[in-house]
Amino acid sequence: MSLTVALSKGKLLAGSAQLFRKAGLPFPEDEGRRLVVEMDGLRFLFVKDMDVPTYVEYGVADLGISGRDVLLERAYDLYQPLDLGIGKCRMAVAGPKGTVLGDRPRVATKFTRIATEHFAKKGVQAEVIYVGGSVELSPLVGLSDVIVDIVESGKTLEENDLHVLEHICDISSVLVANRAIYKLRYGVIAPLIERLRAALIT
Amino acid sequence: MNGAHRLSQVPPGVQCFVGDEARRRRQIEERVLRVFEGWDYEEIIPPLFDYADVFADGALGPRTYSFVGRDGSLLALRPDFTSLLAKIAAGRLRERPAPIRLYYSGEVLRYEPPRAGSQSELFQMGLEHLGGDPLRADAEVLAVAAECLDALGVRGFLLTIGHVGVFSGLAEAAGLEGAALAAIRERVESKDAAGVAEALSRAGANGPAADSLVRLATLSGGADALGQVKRIAAPSQAAALAARDLESVVAALHEAGLGDRVALDLGEVRGLDYYTGLVFRVLAPGLGFEVGSGGRYDTLVGRFGRPLPAVGFMLGLDRLDLLLQRQGIALDQPGAEALPVTAEDVGEALKAARGLRAEGTRVRFCPDDDGGGA
Repeated sequence: MSLTVALSKGKLLAGSAQLFRKAGLPFPEDEGRRLVVEMDGLRFLFVKDMDVPTYVEYGVADLGISGRDVLLERAYDLYQPLDLGIGKCRMAVAGPKGTVLGDRPRVATKFTRIATEHFAKKGVQAEVIYVGGSVELSPLVGLSDVIVDIVESGKTLEENDLHVLEHICDISSVLVANRAIYKLRYGVIAPLIERLRAALIT
Repeated sequence: MNGAHRLSQVPPGVQCFVGDEARRRRQIEERVLRVFEGWDYEEIIPPLFDYADVFADGALGPRTYSFVGRDGSLLALRPDFTSLLAKIAAGRLRERPAPIRLYYSGEVLRYEPPRAGSQSELFQMGLEHLGGDPLRADAEVLAVAAECLDALGVRGFLLTIGHVGVFSGLAEAAGLEGAALAAIRERVESKDAAGVAEALSRAGANGPAADSLVRLATLSGGADALGQVKRIAAPSQAAALAARDLESVVAALHEAGLGDRVALDLGEVRGLDYYTGLVFRVLAPGLGFEVGSGGRYDTLVGRFGRPLPAVGFMLGLDRLDLLLQRQGIALDQPGAEALPVTAEDVGEALKAARGLRAEGTRVRFCPDDDGGGA
Protein backbone atom coordinates (compact mmCIF):
# COMPACT_ATOMS: atom_id res chain seq x y z
CA MET A 1 0.00 0.00 0.00
CA SER A 2 1.18 3.48 -0.73
CA LEU A 3 2.28 6.20 1.66
CA THR A 4 0.49 9.54 1.98
CA VAL A 5 2.55 12.72 2.19
CA ALA A 6 1.11 16.09 3.25
CA LEU A 7 2.66 19.12 1.54
CA SER A 8 1.95 22.82 1.51
CA LYS A 9 1.75 24.79 -1.70
CA GLY A 10 3.90 27.55 -0.31
CA LYS A 11 7.53 28.49 -0.50
CA LEU A 12 8.68 24.98 0.43
CA LEU A 13 7.24 23.31 -2.65
CA ALA A 14 10.05 23.94 -5.13
CA GLY A 15 12.75 22.84 -2.69
CA SER A 16 10.78 19.73 -1.71
CA ALA A 17 10.31 18.80 -5.38
CA GLN A 18 14.03 19.14 -6.01
CA LEU A 19 14.93 16.97 -3.03
CA PHE A 20 12.37 14.23 -3.80
CA ARG A 21 13.51 13.99 -7.43
CA LYS A 22 17.16 13.91 -6.40
CA ALA A 23 16.28 10.99 -4.11
CA GLY A 24 14.66 9.24 -7.07
CA LEU A 25 11.20 9.65 -5.56
CA PRO A 26 8.12 10.81 -7.42
CA PHE A 27 6.86 14.34 -6.89
CA PRO A 28 3.85 15.92 -8.57
CA GLU A 29 4.03 18.88 -10.92
CA ASP A 30 2.05 21.88 -9.75
CA GLU A 31 -1.42 20.83 -10.85
CA GLY A 32 -3.35 23.94 -10.05
CA ARG A 33 -6.31 23.31 -7.83
CA ARG A 34 -6.04 19.56 -7.32
CA LEU A 35 -5.73 18.73 -3.65
CA VAL A 36 -4.88 15.03 -3.97
CA VAL A 37 -2.37 13.67 -6.47
CA GLU A 38 -1.37 10.02 -6.71
CA MET A 39 1.75 8.87 -8.51
CA ASP A 40 4.08 5.88 -8.44
CA GLY A 41 3.01 4.54 -5.06
CA LEU A 42 2.86 7.87 -3.25
CA ARG A 43 -0.19 9.96 -2.54
CA PHE A 44 0.27 13.69 -2.02
CA LEU A 45 -2.13 15.94 -0.13
CA PHE A 46 -1.90 19.69 -0.64
CA VAL A 47 -2.89 21.56 2.48
CA LYS A 48 -2.18 24.90 4.11
CA ASP A 49 1.31 25.14 5.65
CA MET A 50 -0.06 25.60 9.18
CA ASP A 51 -2.15 22.44 8.71
CA VAL A 52 0.53 19.93 7.61
CA PRO A 53 1.35 18.75 11.17
CA THR A 54 -2.35 18.33 11.97
CA TYR A 55 -2.93 15.95 9.04
CA VAL A 56 0.09 13.91 10.08
CA GLU A 57 -0.71 13.93 13.80
CA TYR A 58 -4.17 12.50 13.15
CA GLY A 59 -2.64 9.87 10.85
CA VAL A 60 -4.58 10.78 7.70
CA ALA A 61 -1.14 11.50 6.21
CA ASP A 62 1.81 9.26 7.08
CA LEU A 63 4.48 11.86 6.41
CA GLY A 64 4.62 15.59 5.84
CA ILE A 65 6.94 18.48 5.15
CA SER A 66 6.50 21.31 7.61
CA GLY A 67 8.29 24.48 8.57
CA ARG A 68 9.89 24.33 12.00
CA ASP A 69 8.09 27.58 12.84
CA VAL A 70 4.75 25.78 12.64
CA LEU A 71 6.04 22.90 14.80
CA LEU A 72 7.38 25.29 17.44
CA GLU A 73 4.25 27.41 17.50
CA ARG A 74 1.97 24.50 18.38
CA ALA A 75 3.53 21.53 20.17
CA TYR A 76 2.61 18.57 17.99
CA ASP A 77 3.17 14.95 18.91
CA LEU A 78 5.19 13.91 15.86
CA TYR A 79 8.46 12.34 14.85
CA GLN A 80 10.84 14.70 13.09
CA PRO A 81 13.38 12.30 11.60
CA LEU A 82 14.98 14.66 9.11
CA ASP A 83 15.81 18.35 8.83
CA LEU A 84 15.45 18.95 5.09
CA GLY A 85 17.24 22.29 5.13
CA ILE A 86 14.72 23.78 2.69
CA GLY A 87 13.39 27.30 3.16
CA LYS A 88 16.05 28.36 5.62
CA CYS A 89 15.25 31.53 7.52
CA ARG A 90 15.13 32.71 11.10
CA MET A 91 12.68 33.80 13.75
CA ALA A 92 13.59 37.17 15.19
CA VAL A 93 12.43 40.13 17.25
CA ALA A 94 12.38 43.25 15.08
CA GLY A 95 11.57 46.89 15.67
CA PRO A 96 12.49 50.46 14.77
CA LYS A 97 16.21 51.19 15.02
CA GLY A 98 17.39 51.96 18.53
CA THR A 99 14.33 50.41 20.21
CA VAL A 100 14.99 49.76 23.89
CA LEU A 101 12.75 47.04 25.24
CA GLY A 102 11.17 48.14 28.46
CA ASP A 103 9.84 45.99 31.31
CA ARG A 104 6.61 45.17 29.54
CA PRO A 105 7.06 45.42 25.77
CA ARG A 106 4.11 45.04 23.47
CA VAL A 107 4.81 42.44 20.80
CA ALA A 108 2.73 41.86 17.66
CA THR A 109 3.10 38.46 16.02
CA LYS A 110 1.48 35.55 14.25
CA PHE A 111 3.59 33.27 16.48
CA THR A 112 2.21 34.02 19.93
CA ARG A 113 3.60 30.91 21.60
CA ILE A 114 7.12 31.35 20.25
CA ALA A 115 7.07 35.03 21.23
CA THR A 116 5.67 34.36 24.71
CA GLU A 117 8.25 31.66 25.39
CA HIS A 118 11.12 33.76 24.09
CA PHE A 119 10.36 36.67 26.40
CA ALA A 120 9.45 34.43 29.33
CA LYS A 121 12.86 32.75 29.05
CA LYS A 122 14.49 36.14 29.41
CA GLY A 123 12.29 36.95 32.38
CA VAL A 124 10.45 39.68 30.48
CA GLN A 125 6.69 39.91 30.85
CA ALA A 126 5.69 40.80 27.29
CA GLU A 127 2.20 41.68 26.16
CA VAL A 128 1.78 39.51 23.07
CA ILE A 129 -0.78 40.63 20.50
CA TYR A 130 -1.92 38.25 17.76
CA VAL A 131 -2.03 39.60 14.21
CA GLY A 132 -2.61 37.40 11.18
CA GLY A 133 -0.39 39.18 8.65
CA SER A 134 1.34 42.42 7.63
CA VAL A 135 2.98 42.27 11.01
CA GLU A 136 5.52 44.96 10.04
CA LEU A 137 2.77 47.54 10.20
CA SER A 138 2.16 47.23 13.94
CA PRO A 139 5.18 49.14 15.31
CA LEU A 140 4.76 51.83 12.64
CA VAL A 141 1.25 52.70 13.76
CA GLY A 142 1.71 52.07 17.46
CA LEU A 143 -0.11 48.77 17.85
CA SER A 144 3.08 47.32 19.34
CA ASP A 145 6.65 48.25 20.23
CA VAL A 146 8.23 45.34 18.35
CA ILE A 147 7.29 42.30 16.28
CA VAL A 148 8.28 38.63 16.28
CA ASP A 149 8.34 37.21 12.79
CA ILE A 150 10.14 35.11 10.22
CA VAL A 151 12.99 36.93 8.56
CA GLU A 152 14.19 35.69 5.18
CA SER A 153 16.12 38.28 3.23
CA GLY A 154 15.29 41.10 5.59
CA LYS A 155 13.93 43.12 2.71
CA THR A 156 10.41 43.56 4.09
CA LEU A 157 11.88 44.79 7.35
CA GLU A 158 14.16 47.20 5.54
CA GLU A 159 11.33 48.64 3.47
CA ASN A 160 9.45 49.38 6.67
CA ASP A 161 12.47 50.78 8.52
CA LEU A 162 12.62 47.88 10.95
CA HIS A 163 15.73 46.08 12.17
CA VAL A 164 16.42 42.72 13.75
CA LEU A 165 16.86 43.31 17.47
CA GLU A 166 17.14 39.74 18.75
CA HIS A 167 17.67 36.37 17.09
CA ILE A 168 15.25 33.72 18.42
CA CYS A 169 16.05 30.60 16.40
CA ASP A 170 16.89 29.23 12.97
CA ILE A 171 14.01 27.87 10.93
CA SER A 172 14.00 25.37 8.12
CA SER A 173 11.70 22.64 6.94
CA VAL A 174 11.41 19.27 8.60
CA LEU A 175 10.18 15.86 7.50
CA VAL A 176 7.51 14.87 10.02
CA ALA A 177 6.07 11.39 10.54
CA ASN A 178 3.06 10.05 12.41
CA ARG A 179 4.30 8.29 15.55
CA ALA A 180 2.17 5.17 15.24
CA ILE A 181 2.43 4.74 11.48
CA TYR A 182 6.22 5.18 11.59
CA LYS A 183 6.38 1.99 13.62
CA LEU A 184 3.52 0.09 12.03
CA ARG A 185 4.92 0.68 8.54
CA TYR A 186 8.58 0.93 9.41
CA GLY A 187 9.53 -1.36 6.52
CA VAL A 188 8.17 1.15 3.97
CA ILE A 189 8.92 4.42 5.75
CA ALA A 190 12.52 3.76 6.82
CA PRO A 191 13.87 3.20 3.28
CA LEU A 192 12.11 6.36 2.06
CA ILE A 193 13.70 8.40 4.88
CA GLU A 194 17.09 6.85 4.08
CA ARG A 195 16.81 7.88 0.43
CA LEU A 196 15.97 11.45 1.42
CA ARG A 197 18.82 11.46 3.92
CA ALA A 198 21.25 10.27 1.27
CA ALA A 199 19.99 12.92 -1.18
CA LEU A 200 20.57 15.62 1.45
CA ILE A 201 24.21 14.70 1.92
CA THR A 202 25.21 14.46 -1.73
CA MET B 1 -22.84 34.53 23.46
CA ASN B 2 -25.88 34.43 25.72
CA GLY B 3 -24.93 31.20 27.46
CA ALA B 4 -27.95 29.26 26.22
CA HIS B 5 -25.61 26.63 24.74
CA ARG B 6 -24.75 25.64 28.32
CA LEU B 7 -28.22 24.21 28.69
CA SER B 8 -28.03 22.18 25.47
CA GLN B 9 -24.39 21.16 25.00
CA VAL B 10 -21.73 19.49 27.13
CA PRO B 11 -18.47 21.39 27.71
CA PRO B 12 -15.48 20.67 25.44
CA GLY B 13 -13.47 17.68 26.64
CA VAL B 14 -16.38 15.57 27.90
CA GLN B 15 -18.74 13.39 25.89
CA CYS B 16 -22.18 11.86 26.05
CA PHE B 17 -23.05 8.46 24.57
CA VAL B 18 -26.55 7.28 23.68
CA GLY B 19 -28.08 3.95 22.68
CA ASP B 20 -25.93 2.05 20.19
CA GLU B 21 -22.85 4.15 21.00
CA ALA B 22 -23.16 3.28 24.66
CA ARG B 23 -23.89 -0.37 23.88
CA ARG B 24 -20.79 -0.64 21.71
CA ARG B 25 -18.63 0.79 24.49
CA ARG B 26 -20.08 -1.63 27.03
CA GLN B 27 -19.39 -4.55 24.70
CA ILE B 28 -15.75 -3.51 24.26
CA GLU B 29 -15.42 -3.10 28.01
CA GLU B 30 -16.97 -6.52 28.69
CA ARG B 31 -14.60 -8.29 26.28
CA VAL B 32 -11.53 -6.66 27.75
CA LEU B 33 -12.56 -7.27 31.35
CA ARG B 34 -13.28 -10.91 30.54
CA VAL B 35 -9.65 -11.25 29.45
CA PHE B 36 -8.45 -9.58 32.69
CA GLU B 37 -10.63 -11.97 34.71
CA GLY B 38 -9.36 -14.89 32.64
CA TRP B 39 -5.81 -14.18 33.81
CA ASP B 40 -7.03 -14.10 37.41
CA TYR B 41 -6.82 -10.34 37.99
CA GLU B 42 -9.14 -9.00 40.68
CA GLU B 43 -11.30 -5.98 40.06
CA ILE B 44 -10.77 -2.91 42.17
CA ILE B 45 -13.15 0.06 42.20
CA PRO B 46 -11.14 2.97 43.56
CA PRO B 47 -12.60 6.34 44.58
CA LEU B 48 -13.29 9.04 42.01
CA PHE B 49 -11.27 11.57 44.00
CA ASP B 50 -8.58 11.35 46.63
CA TYR B 51 -6.12 13.64 48.41
CA ALA B 52 -4.19 15.61 45.79
CA ASP B 53 -0.87 14.42 47.30
CA VAL B 54 -1.58 10.92 45.97
CA PHE B 55 -1.26 12.20 42.41
CA ALA B 56 1.24 14.99 43.03
CA ASP B 57 4.26 13.02 41.81
CA GLY B 58 5.03 13.15 38.12
CA ALA B 59 3.85 14.62 34.87
CA LEU B 60 0.12 14.58 35.60
CA GLY B 61 0.35 17.10 38.44
CA PRO B 62 -0.33 20.20 36.36
CA ARG B 63 -3.16 18.47 34.46
CA THR B 64 -5.10 17.47 37.56
CA TYR B 65 -8.49 18.91 38.45
CA SER B 66 -8.13 19.71 42.11
CA PHE B 67 -10.44 21.33 44.62
CA VAL B 68 -10.66 22.07 48.31
CA GLY B 69 -12.77 19.73 50.45
CA ARG B 70 -15.12 20.91 53.21
CA ASP B 71 -12.42 20.24 55.81
CA GLY B 72 -9.86 22.34 53.94
CA SER B 73 -7.85 19.44 52.51
CA LEU B 74 -6.77 19.62 48.89
CA LEU B 75 -8.49 16.92 46.83
CA ALA B 76 -8.12 15.89 43.18
CA LEU B 77 -10.25 14.01 40.67
CA ARG B 78 -8.25 10.92 39.68
CA PRO B 79 -6.04 11.72 36.66
CA ASP B 80 -4.93 8.09 36.43
CA PHE B 81 -5.48 4.81 38.22
CA THR B 82 -1.93 3.65 38.78
CA SER B 83 -1.14 5.95 41.73
CA LEU B 84 -4.47 5.05 43.36
CA LEU B 85 -3.89 1.33 42.97
CA ALA B 86 -0.35 1.67 44.30
CA LYS B 87 -1.72 3.45 47.36
CA ILE B 88 -4.34 0.79 47.94
CA ALA B 89 -1.87 -2.08 47.43
CA ALA B 90 0.48 -0.50 49.98
CA GLY B 91 -2.30 0.44 52.39
CA ARG B 92 -5.49 -1.53 52.53
CA LEU B 93 -3.91 -4.62 50.94
CA ARG B 94 -0.63 -4.42 52.86
CA GLU B 95 -1.07 -7.86 54.45
CA ARG B 96 -1.74 -9.44 51.08
CA PRO B 97 1.28 -11.47 49.89
CA ALA B 98 2.77 -10.56 46.51
CA PRO B 99 2.21 -10.94 43.65
CA ILE B 100 -1.03 -8.96 43.67
CA ARG B 101 -2.99 -8.79 40.42
CA LEU B 102 -5.54 -5.98 40.14
CA TYR B 103 -7.60 -4.48 37.33
CA TYR B 104 -9.80 -1.41 36.95
CA SER B 105 -12.20 0.11 34.49
CA GLY B 106 -13.48 3.65 34.63
CA GLU B 107 -13.04 7.33 33.92
CA VAL B 108 -10.05 9.48 34.67
CA LEU B 109 -10.09 13.25 34.39
CA ARG B 110 -7.27 15.43 33.16
CA TYR B 111 -7.04 18.89 31.87
CA GLU B 112 -6.11 18.20 28.22
CA PRO B 113 -5.76 20.77 25.48
CA PRO B 114 -7.83 19.50 22.53
CA ARG B 115 -5.74 17.29 20.22
CA ALA B 116 -5.72 13.95 18.41
CA GLY B 117 -7.59 11.31 20.39
CA SER B 118 -7.57 13.17 23.68
CA GLN B 119 -10.40 14.28 25.93
CA SER B 120 -10.50 15.62 29.45
CA GLU B 121 -12.63 12.65 30.46
CA LEU B 122 -10.98 9.40 29.42
CA PHE B 123 -12.28 5.90 30.00
CA GLN B 124 -9.44 3.55 30.83
CA MET B 125 -9.30 -0.20 31.37
CA GLY B 126 -6.09 -1.50 32.79
CA LEU B 127 -4.30 -3.74 35.20
CA GLU B 128 -1.38 -3.70 37.59
CA HIS B 129 0.82 -6.64 38.53
CA LEU B 130 2.51 -5.88 41.83
CA GLY B 131 5.43 -7.90 43.22
CA GLY B 132 6.64 -11.23 41.90
CA ASP B 133 9.47 -11.95 39.50
CA PRO B 134 9.82 -8.84 37.28
CA LEU B 135 10.66 -10.54 34.00
CA ARG B 136 7.84 -13.06 34.29
CA ALA B 137 5.43 -10.29 35.24
CA ASP B 138 6.52 -8.17 32.25
CA ALA B 139 5.98 -11.08 29.86
CA GLU B 140 2.60 -11.90 31.43
CA VAL B 141 1.30 -8.35 31.19
CA LEU B 142 2.34 -8.06 27.52
CA ALA B 143 0.60 -11.35 26.73
CA VAL B 144 -2.59 -10.12 28.44
CA ALA B 145 -2.48 -6.90 26.40
CA ALA B 146 -2.13 -8.92 23.19
CA GLU B 147 -5.06 -11.14 24.16
CA CYS B 148 -7.30 -8.10 24.75
CA LEU B 149 -6.67 -6.90 21.19
CA ASP B 150 -7.21 -10.41 19.83
CA ALA B 151 -10.46 -10.74 21.80
CA LEU B 152 -11.73 -7.61 20.04
CA GLY B 153 -10.69 -8.92 16.63
CA VAL B 154 -8.21 -6.08 16.01
CA ARG B 155 -6.03 -6.78 12.97
CA GLY B 156 -2.34 -6.09 12.58
CA PHE B 157 -1.70 -4.71 16.06
CA LEU B 158 1.81 -4.23 17.38
CA LEU B 159 3.31 -4.00 20.86
CA THR B 160 6.31 -1.68 20.62
CA ILE B 161 8.66 -2.37 23.49
CA GLY B 162 11.48 -0.31 24.92
CA HIS B 163 13.32 0.06 28.21
CA VAL B 164 14.01 3.37 29.94
CA GLY B 165 17.26 1.89 31.33
CA VAL B 166 18.94 1.75 27.94
CA PHE B 167 18.66 5.48 27.31
CA SER B 168 19.32 6.54 30.90
CA GLY B 169 22.33 4.20 31.20
CA LEU B 170 23.89 5.52 28.01
CA ALA B 171 23.13 9.14 28.92
CA GLU B 172 24.85 8.65 32.25
CA ALA B 173 27.86 6.95 30.65
CA ALA B 174 28.11 9.87 28.22
CA GLY B 175 28.13 12.26 31.19
CA LEU B 176 24.94 14.09 30.18
CA GLU B 177 22.80 16.04 32.60
CA GLY B 178 20.54 19.06 32.93
CA ALA B 179 19.69 21.06 29.84
CA ALA B 180 21.99 19.02 27.55
CA LEU B 181 20.27 15.80 28.64
CA ALA B 182 16.83 17.34 28.05
CA ALA B 183 17.84 18.54 24.57
CA ILE B 184 19.16 15.12 23.57
CA ARG B 185 16.13 13.34 25.01
CA GLU B 186 13.92 15.61 22.93
CA ARG B 187 15.84 14.81 19.71
CA VAL B 188 15.84 11.06 20.47
CA GLU B 189 12.08 11.36 20.99
CA SER B 190 11.79 12.95 17.54
CA LYS B 191 13.82 10.13 15.91
CA ASP B 192 16.15 12.78 14.55
CA ALA B 193 19.57 11.07 14.45
CA ALA B 194 21.33 14.10 12.96
CA GLY B 195 19.78 16.30 15.65
CA VAL B 196 21.00 13.92 18.38
CA ALA B 197 24.53 14.01 16.95
CA GLU B 198 24.44 17.80 16.82
CA ALA B 199 23.14 18.14 20.38
CA LEU B 200 25.80 15.70 21.60
CA SER B 201 28.62 17.61 19.98
CA ARG B 202 27.25 20.86 21.39
CA ALA B 203 27.31 19.24 24.83
CA GLY B 204 30.89 18.12 24.22
CA ALA B 205 29.92 14.47 24.61
CA ASN B 206 31.74 11.89 22.51
CA GLY B 207 32.90 8.31 22.78
CA PRO B 208 31.09 4.99 22.48
CA ALA B 209 28.13 5.94 24.70
CA ALA B 210 27.46 9.07 22.63
CA ASP B 211 27.71 7.08 19.38
CA SER B 212 25.18 4.62 20.79
CA LEU B 213 22.72 7.43 21.59
CA VAL B 214 22.78 8.50 17.93
CA ARG B 215 21.96 4.96 16.81
CA LEU B 216 19.34 4.53 19.51
CA ALA B 217 17.24 7.30 17.96
CA THR B 218 16.37 5.39 14.84
CA LEU B 219 16.59 1.80 16.06
CA SER B 220 13.29 0.10 15.44
CA GLY B 221 12.32 -3.35 14.26
CA GLY B 222 11.38 -6.86 15.29
CA ALA B 223 13.35 -9.40 17.29
CA ASP B 224 16.03 -9.21 14.58
CA ALA B 225 16.95 -5.83 16.05
CA LEU B 226 17.85 -7.43 19.40
CA GLY B 227 21.44 -8.00 18.32
CA GLN B 228 21.75 -4.31 17.54
CA VAL B 229 20.24 -3.41 20.91
CA LYS B 230 22.96 -5.40 22.69
CA ARG B 231 25.70 -3.69 20.71
CA ILE B 232 24.19 -0.26 21.28
CA ALA B 233 23.83 -0.87 25.02
CA ALA B 234 27.37 -2.25 25.48
CA PRO B 235 29.10 1.05 26.48
CA SER B 236 27.08 1.24 29.72
CA GLN B 237 26.72 -1.53 32.27
CA ALA B 238 23.26 -0.33 33.30
CA ALA B 239 22.14 -0.15 29.68
CA ALA B 240 23.54 -3.63 29.00
CA LEU B 241 21.54 -5.03 31.94
CA ALA B 242 18.40 -3.34 30.63
CA ALA B 243 19.03 -4.80 27.17
CA ARG B 244 19.43 -8.26 28.68
CA ASP B 245 16.07 -7.94 30.46
CA LEU B 246 14.45 -6.76 27.26
CA GLU B 247 15.91 -9.70 25.37
CA SER B 248 14.58 -12.27 27.81
CA VAL B 249 11.05 -10.81 27.75
CA VAL B 250 11.02 -10.67 23.95
CA ALA B 251 12.33 -14.25 23.79
CA ALA B 252 9.48 -15.41 26.02
CA LEU B 253 6.91 -13.66 23.83
CA HIS B 254 8.41 -15.28 20.74
CA GLU B 255 8.21 -18.70 22.27
CA ALA B 256 4.59 -18.03 23.19
CA GLY B 257 3.73 -17.35 19.55
CA LEU B 258 3.54 -13.58 19.86
CA GLY B 259 6.74 -12.90 17.91
CA ASP B 260 5.04 -11.11 15.03
CA ARG B 261 3.19 -8.84 17.48
CA VAL B 262 6.37 -7.42 18.97
CA ALA B 263 8.59 -4.60 17.73
CA LEU B 264 11.46 -2.94 19.55
CA ASP B 265 11.61 0.79 19.99
CA LEU B 266 14.33 2.09 22.26
CA GLY B 267 13.79 5.70 21.29
CA GLU B 268 10.57 5.88 23.31
CA VAL B 269 11.97 7.73 26.30
CA ARG B 270 9.16 9.99 27.37
CA GLY B 271 5.93 9.37 29.17
CA LEU B 272 5.07 9.33 32.82
CA ASP B 273 8.09 9.87 35.03
CA TYR B 274 7.33 6.89 37.20
CA TYR B 275 8.40 4.26 34.68
CA THR B 276 11.66 2.58 35.67
CA GLY B 277 12.08 -0.35 33.30
CA LEU B 278 10.30 -1.89 30.37
CA VAL B 279 7.82 0.40 28.61
CA PHE B 280 5.45 -0.39 25.77
CA ARG B 281 2.75 1.00 23.54
CA VAL B 282 -0.09 -0.72 21.71
CA LEU B 283 -0.50 0.36 18.07
CA ALA B 284 -2.80 -0.80 15.29
CA PRO B 285 -3.37 0.15 11.65
CA GLY B 286 -6.18 2.66 11.25
CA LEU B 287 -5.21 4.84 14.18
CA GLY B 288 -2.43 7.43 14.15
CA PHE B 289 -1.88 7.21 17.90
CA GLU B 290 -1.54 4.39 20.43
CA VAL B 291 -4.61 2.63 21.84
CA GLY B 292 -2.85 1.85 25.07
CA SER B 293 0.45 1.87 26.89
CA GLY B 294 2.18 0.49 29.92
CA GLY B 295 5.40 -0.20 31.68
CA ARG B 296 7.30 -1.07 34.81
CA TYR B 297 7.34 1.27 37.80
CA ASP B 298 9.44 -0.13 40.62
CA THR B 299 9.55 2.90 42.92
CA LEU B 300 5.97 4.23 42.90
CA VAL B 301 4.42 1.80 45.42
CA GLY B 302 7.29 2.45 47.83
CA ARG B 303 6.14 6.07 48.03
CA PHE B 304 3.07 4.77 49.86
CA GLY B 305 5.10 2.74 52.34
CA ARG B 306 5.42 -0.71 50.80
CA PRO B 307 8.37 -1.18 48.43
CA LEU B 308 6.94 -3.38 45.69
CA PRO B 309 8.11 -3.57 42.09
CA ALA B 310 5.20 -3.39 39.68
CA VAL B 311 4.18 -3.39 36.03
CA GLY B 312 0.89 -2.49 34.37
CA PHE B 313 -0.84 -1.17 31.31
CA MET B 314 -4.05 0.47 30.25
CA LEU B 315 -6.20 0.59 27.12
CA GLY B 316 -8.25 3.65 26.23
CA LEU B 317 -11.89 2.79 25.58
CA ASP B 318 -12.47 5.84 23.37
CA ARG B 319 -9.50 4.95 21.20
CA LEU B 320 -10.43 1.25 21.00
CA ASP B 321 -13.92 2.24 19.92
CA LEU B 322 -12.51 4.49 17.19
CA LEU B 323 -10.05 1.79 16.11
CA LEU B 324 -12.79 -0.84 15.75
CA GLN B 325 -14.84 1.57 13.65
CA ARG B 326 -11.84 2.38 11.44
CA GLN B 327 -11.10 -1.32 10.97
CA GLY B 328 -14.77 -2.00 10.27
CA ILE B 329 -15.17 -4.42 13.14
CA ALA B 330 -18.67 -4.89 14.54
CA LEU B 331 -18.92 -6.68 17.89
CA ASP B 332 -22.11 -8.50 18.93
CA GLN B 333 -25.37 -7.70 17.24
CA PRO B 334 -27.36 -4.84 18.71
CA GLY B 335 -30.02 -6.03 21.17
CA ALA B 336 -32.95 -8.05 19.77
CA GLU B 337 -36.00 -6.13 18.49
CA ALA B 338 -38.41 -5.42 21.30
CA LEU B 339 -41.79 -7.17 21.17
CA PRO B 340 -44.64 -4.67 21.64
CA VAL B 341 -47.07 -5.88 24.31
CA THR B 342 -50.58 -4.55 23.68
CA ALA B 343 -53.89 -5.06 25.47
CA GLU B 344 -57.00 -3.07 26.39
CA ASP B 345 -56.35 -3.41 30.07
CA VAL B 346 -53.09 -2.18 31.72
CA GLY B 347 -53.06 -5.00 34.25
CA GLU B 348 -53.59 -7.63 31.58
CA ALA B 349 -50.83 -6.16 29.44
CA LEU B 350 -48.47 -5.98 32.39
CA LYS B 351 -49.13 -9.62 33.18
CA ALA B 352 -48.36 -10.64 29.59
CA ALA B 353 -45.22 -8.50 29.57
CA ARG B 354 -44.01 -10.03 32.84
CA GLY B 355 -44.54 -13.48 31.39
CA LEU B 356 -42.45 -12.63 28.32
CA ARG B 357 -39.75 -11.05 30.49
CA ALA B 358 -39.53 -14.24 32.55
CA GLU B 359 -38.68 -16.02 29.30
CA GLY B 360 -36.01 -13.40 28.62
CA THR B 361 -37.80 -11.66 25.75
CA ARG B 362 -37.18 -7.96 25.19
CA VAL B 363 -40.53 -6.19 25.43
CA ARG B 364 -41.83 -2.69 24.81
CA PHE B 365 -44.72 -1.99 27.13
CA CYS B 366 -47.53 -0.12 25.30
CA PRO B 367 -50.86 -1.31 26.72
CA ASP B 368 -53.24 0.80 24.61
CA ASP B 369 -50.96 0.92 21.55
CA ASP B 370 -50.77 4.71 21.75
CA GLY B 371 -48.11 4.89 19.08
CA GLY B 372 -45.32 4.04 21.50
CA GLY B 373 -44.81 0.93 19.42
CA ALA B 374 -43.91 2.65 16.14
